[in-house]
Amino acid sequence: MRLPLKSGWLLVLPFLLLVGGLFLGPILNVLWISVTDPAPGFGNYAQLGSSDTLRRILWTTLRVCVICTAFSVILGYSIAYAMVHAAGPAQSRMVGLLLISFWISVLVRTFSWLMLLGRNGVVNSGLEALGIITAPIAFMRNELGVLIGMVHYMVPYAVLPIFAAMQSIDGRVVQASRSLGGSGAQTFWRIYLPLTKPGIVAASLVVFIINLGFYVIPAVLGGGKVLMVAEYISVQVLITLQWGTAAMLAAILLFGVLALMFLMSRFMKLSTVFGGART
Amino acid sequence: MHDKNFMRETLLQGAQAFQAGKMERRSFLALCGIAGFASASVLAGKAEAAASEIVMWNWGGQSEECHQSAIGAAFTKDTGIPLKFDTSGPLQGKIKEMVDSGHVTADVCDADLFDAVALGKTGHLEALDYSVIDKTKTVDGYALEFGISIILYGYAFMYDTQAYPDGAPASWADFFDTAKFPGTRSLYKWANGSLEAALMADGVEKDKLYPLDIDRAIKKITAIKADTIYWGSGSEAHDMIVNGEVSMGMVWQNRGRSIETETNGRYKLVMNQALAMPGAYIVPKGNPGGADVMKFIATAQSVPAQLDLFACLGMTPTNPEAIAQMAEVDQPYSITSAANMPMIALNDPTWWGENTDAAVNAFLAAIS
Repeated sequence: MRLPLKSGWLLVLPFLLLVGGLFLGPILNVLWISVTDPAPGFGNYAQLGSSDTLRRILWTTLRVCVICTAFSVILGYSIAYAMVHAAGPAQSRMVGLLLISFWISVLVRTFSWLMLLGRNGVVNSGLEALGIITAPIAFMRNELGVLIGMVHYMVPYAVLPIFAAMQSIDGRVVQASRSLGGSGAQTFWRIYLPLTKPGIVAASLVVFIINLGFYVIPAVLGGGKVLMVAEYISVQVLITLQWGTAAMLAAILLFGVLALMFLMSRFMKLSTVFGGART
Repeated sequence: MHDKNFMRETLLQGAQAFQAGKMERRSFLALCGIAGFASASVLAGKAEAAASEIVMWNWGGQSEECHQSAIGAAFTKDTGIPLKFDTSGPLQGKIKEMVDSGHVTADVCDADLFDAVALGKTGHLEALDYSVIDKTKTVDGYALEFGISIILYGYAFMYDTQAYPDGAPASWADFFDTAKFPGTRSLYKWANGSLEAALMADGVEKDKLYPLDIDRAIKKITAIKADTIYWGSGSEAHDMIVNGEVSMGMVWQNRGRSIETETNGRYKLVMNQALAMPGAYIVPKGNPGGADVMKFIATAQSVPAQLDLFACLGMTPTNPEAIAQMAEVDQPYSITSAANMPMIALNDPTWWGENTDAAVNAFLAAIS
């Protein structure tokens, strides 16, 4: 027997309350702090206009996130492409490697990068021993280091949605294109790539949004000079006790992400991107 | 209630015996089963603060063992009250959040004296009871209403002896002189200590540092920005030095000795113009253990506790009697020893308690 819609909602109600209480509650609290601490009003938001530092931090965050997203998605696309076209056992090995990399903790990765690419790291000492370079290359403790660390962390996040999108493509459309005289490049650019677009958009969104909140990698690999918004928020909460500024920046991030989702939704159906029902 | 406490104590003794290898794993697990406790939580010493214990909030790691052996053991012997730890790091924001939430689970924080100034003013701390705690057993001026300095740490710098064979850097002025001493440096990224170092490099007398001239310090710091990287934790500062990322690096002074030993003297600590920082005990408002925490702080001031903490963590005692009893070989590494005292600067917790936000944000704006 089918339950009427109403009782269905009743079953979901406890979870809705849980989400409302544990998720919306704190978010509203943060929004509230952003307009009440230290004084009621929009003083915290006005800082965005008056403070060069805040604007620079937001700009650094945006720049690093956009570059990282671009590289992660391009690399992720290539890896997903190779995975989709690999034979069964090879494909499962590739998925396995990808997942292992996915599960390595961010701290371990960060310190591994320092060992590999640091001033006296394996790569620099190797190149020096071979006589290719005379002074160590500054891979780490700068924006390049942050980008390397972040792209490495984000590639698996980019691969998975693109891989899923590629798997659902009917291989016969590619054959059809080739049999009608399309070249390999034409088939890729005009048939394959457009069909994987939902995967690319999903990957970009996921990677970009996760990037916005990055803390450990910029803090360590940036050598203190690449200050992104998450670290700045943490300093304002824990050390300088300017919770109003911190809450305002958190609110900016939240609204930024929501605006991004809204923009995307103008161009495509978001439910397709996130694997919802296709129409 | 008594039964629960009895079981808790039995279990803790069991856990200690098990960890010391005096009890078999199986017997211990059986004991846990009887008491209805998960062994992991007992082993971790995880328990909510109750009136029957004192919870110290610190940074964990070695610091936990050292505080337990140096202060906890004596305190428990005297009072019967066990010492437990919360190792999540008592930063100002976390203390404020805990007190504001009304759910206070820590009795004493291993924090900075400037935290006592900042959080005391906003009503987040208990005033110390100076009928139990002794004001004379610390450095002059470091016994405040809401906190007292128990140990000193500090900021000093280390240099690579191989990078500078023709003459070693000996002052902050040398540290900031990239022409005379080329190479990458490291500074603490949250302003503290870095600002004082810059001012001393710029010629400010070590006892005329406060109030800090932030703009002047920032100017000096930005001048060597291209040759500087910044650390956020003691282990990061340590790694930057021993991995050869820097030729000169600021460190927490108490860690200098172990880096010298670890690198067989390749990196040397410079105590000239080191900045002594008062590490302080502060009590969050409404702490669960009540007034007993004052006895704990008094125990931490005792000579044996102070000397043990120095041996274990390298933190300099504040009790003058403990300094006097220190072995000759330890004197150079004790920041306020008779030999070091004329060279070092003393931090002003009141200035930092009132100006942390301005100083940290100006510094972050300059280095990022």
